[in-house]
Amino acid sequence: MAGSTSTKTVFEIFESMESPPTASPSSATAQAWLEQRSRSLGFFIDGKFVCPVERQRCDLTDSKGAAVCSTACAEDEDVSQCCSSALDGLTAMCSLTCDQRAKVLLRLASVLGQHGQCVSELCGLCGVSTSPSVLVRMLQFYSSWAQLRDTLIPGWAPIGVVAVISSDDCSLCSLMLKVFPALAMGNPVVVIPGQSCAPPTLLLAQLFTASGLPAGALNVLTGNAVTLGAKVAQNPSIQYVAYTGNKQDGVMLCKATAGMGVPVSVTPCVGATCPFIIFDSADIDSAVDEVMEAAFRKKREVNWVLYVQESVVDSVVARLKMRVAGKECVALRSEAERGLVDAAVQEAQQQGATLIQSCTPPSSGALYPPTVLCGAAAASSCVVSPSAGPLLPLITFRGNTEAVTLGNHSPHGQAASIWTEELTLALETANSLSVGSVWVNSHSVFDPCLPASGHKDSGTCTDGGQEGLYQFLRPSSCSSVIVHSTPASLDYAKFGESVASPIIPNESGSAPQFYLQFVGGKPCKAVSGRSVPVLTPGGESVLAYVPDGGRKDVRNAVEAAIKVQPGWMKKSPTARAQSLYALAKALEAKRRDIVVSLSSHAGLSVDEAENEVELSVNRLTVWAAYCDKVRGGSLPMPRSGSALSFPEALGVVGVVLPEKNPILSMVTLLGAAVATGNAVILVPNQENPLPVLAFIQVLQASDLPAGLVNVITGSRDQLTAALANHNVIKAIWYWGGAEGCQYLQYTCNSPLKTLRLCSDKNKPSQYWTRSLPVLLEDLWRSGVQWKSVWIPTA
Amino acid sequence: MSVDRNPGTELDCERIYRVRVNTQSVLHRSNTLLQLKEPHTLWKCAWLLRGVSCIDLTTLSGDDTPSNVHRLCLKAVHPIRDDLLQRMDMHHKGVTTAAVCVYPSRVADAVKSLKAANSSLPVASVATGFPAGQTPLETRLQEVRMAVADGASEIDVVINRTLALTGQWEVMYDELHQFRAACGEAHMKTILAVGDLNSFSCVYRASMVAMMAGSDFIKTSTGKETVNATYPVAIVMARAIRDYFLFTGYKVSANQGTAAHHTHTNLCETCVCLCVGGLQTSGGGSVQLRSLCVGSASLKKSWDMIG
Repeated sequence: MAGSTSTKTVFEIFESMESPPTASPSSATAQAWLEQRSRSLGFFIDGKFVCPVERQRCDLTDSKGAAVCSTACAEDEDVSQCCSSALDGLTAMCSLTCDQRAKVLLRLASVLGQHGQCVSELCGLCGVSTSPSVLVRMLQFYSSWAQLRDTLIPGWAPIGVVAVISSDDCSLCSLMLKVFPALAMGNPVVVIPGQSCAPPTLLLAQLFTASGLPAGALNVLTGNAVTLGAKVAQNPSIQYVAYTGNKQDGVMLCKATAGMGVPVSVTPCVGATCPFIIFDSADIDSAVDEVMEAAFRKKREVNWVLYVQESVVDSVVARLKMRVAGKECVALRSEAERGLVDAAVQEAQQQGATLIQSCTPPSSGALYPPTVLCGAAAASSCVVSPSAGPLLPLITFRGNTEAVTLGNHSPHGQAASIWTEELTLALETANSLSVGSVWVNSHSVFDPCLPASGHKDSGTCTDGGQEGLYQFLRPSSCSSVIVHSTPASLDYAKFGESVASPIIPNESGSAPQFYLQFVGGKPCKAVSGRSVPVLTPGGESVLAYVPDGGRKDVRNAVEAAIKVQPGWMKKSPTARAQSLYALAKALEAKRRDIVVSLSSHAGLSVDEAENEVELSVNRLTVWAAYCDKVRGGSLPMPRSGSALSFPEALGVVGVVLPEKNPILSMVTLLGAAVATGNAVILVPNQENPLPVLAFIQVLQASDLPAGLVNVITGSRDQLTAALANHNVIKAIWYWGGAEGCQYLQYTCNSPLKTLRLCSDKNKPSQYWTRSLPVLLEDLWRSGVQWKSVWIPTA
Repeated sequence: MSVDRNPGTELDCERIYRVRVNTQSVLHRSNTLLQLKEPHTLWKCAWLLRGVSCIDLTTLSGDDTPSNVHRLCLKAVHPIRDDLLQRMDMHHKGVTTAAVCVYPSRVADAVKSLKAANSSLPVASVATGFPAGQTPLETRLQEVRMAVADGASEIDVVINRTLALTGQWEVMYDELHQFRAACGEAHMKTILAVGDLNSFSCVYRASMVAMMAGSDFIKTSTGKETVNATYPVAIVMARAIRDYFLFTGYKVSANQGTAAHHTHTNLCETCVCLCVGGLQTSGGGSVQLRSLCVGSASLKKSWDMIG
């Protein structure tokens, strides 16, 4: 008992029935560990602590301002030392059997059992939320996947050295949700934790090594996430960069690493806005209790917005008033934050919101009482870009459709909590919300078995579940290693700006043919009315003219695509399969024309062309068969209830097509996207678009909905820029040069787009002609995003 | 005793049928509360004492005689050893249990013993065919009237579970309404026998009907069912009390007009009824609810100490 409060007598407490003051948690174990390291932490490289002198140091303080320890800022030599250690780690990891890798993870789980106290105390000191039991559950889950990697995921191999980067406000669990699966799949990891996460991460690295992880398999560098992250990403040993944390740092990291040739995935798990929807068929009391817990907890990574059905808003507000009444003020991080909170509340009030507060806010200081903003406007800044304070906007809705519309009215798509006792309503709403995780009658349930991809601005990769493992794997038949490049100095504002030279009538007798592009199911000219010439392979004469598509053509195509794409996704997989079979048949029927186009325009011999069309028909048939095989299922949650996963289409995918095998590569990519429910905008190769344009007649003959597949020709760079700058396009699959890749990585950040950047050069020559199941799986997996729905039962 | 009694309301069937309780989230809530830290020394003592002051010290067995009822009454007046109370500076604060609870035939004995001990402690009597409630309405009413006539100032009635399970809320409301009339000045405490009700929604509805019919207390169980007071059930009933408060402005209350709520728990051989002040109705009541259950769990220890 705290000595200062012992002035209370038993009788006083007996009368008031007040609660005891919260005792500050002990931190003796963590302090002892820090003392052992002299409170000055270095890096963890090659299985041991390294503390180089003369590094810039950052001091870390606890919530009361007392010094905890200092961390070092890594410099270039640390980075290269760390990366070469990671390469040794790769060799060591490759020599481990699946069984041995699984054992290491399991052993760490039991070591965590012994040292859980130290980990949780250290996290408490550093202000990082975590619970050792969650880490143990993650280790157990990923250890079983480590054991069965080669059995259940045959044909896939570890990707190589992975860099995992997190921003300062990210929790240890979110960070480890990237580290554990990477290790489980056999990749060495270089972790760059945010500053407050650094001490616990270093401790975990120590415990991992004690559990038998080979030296070099897990290295920890500390410093600024963005600048240090970019330095590490540039190192040729790094094969993949996974970022988790807030959006701003993620965008900066994307820009800093653009053009390095290394793929970067971003999971902005911090700061998203999530809807909390209470229907009139809900258990209102439970819903209110849980929203209070979710919205006003001390450490929260997301901001909740409460949506309440109009018919029950009075009951909800009455209960909220009672529950808010007893709440104490929440500490903010800084005085500056207080200013932001005040401004947000003021703005909401001006727009007509009423406040529910336990007390009037203290006149100054980094404190604010939990506040519900009743009747906040959906467009007010407390909903759109919430500040960090304990604010909960409350918005009413009339019916189910409106609830979904409001819930989706956000740039984020991370998670949602819906409250209703009606199963049908719950599932319908869960299906219509564009978020990665849906929690029915519960909230904030995280388990490694639940796969979730952040929709919209909430991420470019899937974490959790079997699906989340593939970001750390590559098809083993495709032995390519990422070729690093140095970012070129590129004027991003000017990229793709080119003026086609006007076409003047030719004197020679044979006038080249004018082709049309395909937008919204109709062959048409470019909006600009201009055309560009396609030269013969030698480049000596004009073969044909094709439309010079640009931003407006892309816009028209997207408009057509979003009209039909939701309907296409909703169609039964069988119906989608039938359409693709019909497309294959249509291609078969037009085989002659395509062969002619391939042989006369693409420089293929007739035999090669025949073969290519043959393979293309087969490929489409395969994709048709895949339609109902891409499916989710029920997940093994360690609690009672139903956890379901659903593969969902990304939406509109922009595809800049490769040069090789023009028809085969096109139907492969088109099939992958369309079979999984997407609409596509195809940009044929600039040098040789004619075979794809010849394919338009096949598309016309098929029964695919008009607008689902669009073909736009013209300058590749100009169209790449147009695709990159269109907000609705969710993913871009790009075959082209390094400059285009750099441009896309730099530009596609708001909203985030999933990028699949390839270069013809580093793909084996038979990449398209081989029909390996793993390569097809790799493709369809990039066409879907995963949603998990958790329905707990008693 | 209190002046301000729950007058009851018309039966609002729409409100009864609208009730939805999600079992899993109630269980989740209860687990969350149970994981809160136990209070330490000073607070633990105070909360346990509050627990004692909310107990209906009870004997409900076939072999009750005037002598053991007499001992029970003395224990109720002096529930805790003086030297222990002195150490907490609580010996002049009049810590007693809330009431003594007996079968109707023993009410006269209890009243006599308490009078002899110079105590104004109320005597509660179970009635209405306790514990099953499976006797004709007329005899159940008569039982209430006779217990009141013998001097009981609190009547613990049991609901007719047949009506609750078959959803005949109108009939149940009428019965309870008549019980309330028969109680007169005596408080009516309605035992829901939650162990017999098949779902949390049923518990919530029964609580609501009991309060609408004018119960002064609602209690979980008779102590004779296989499942009695559990934590989740207490949450459901507390929420019903809050709901009733929200639409009537009336807290189902007893002591000094504070909101009250009864839970039953088997403790030693006796059936202890805990009456909790300020439960959940004040909104921030979760911790207090917790205190109560810590209290009820650790009461056995203190009980052994007293006994």
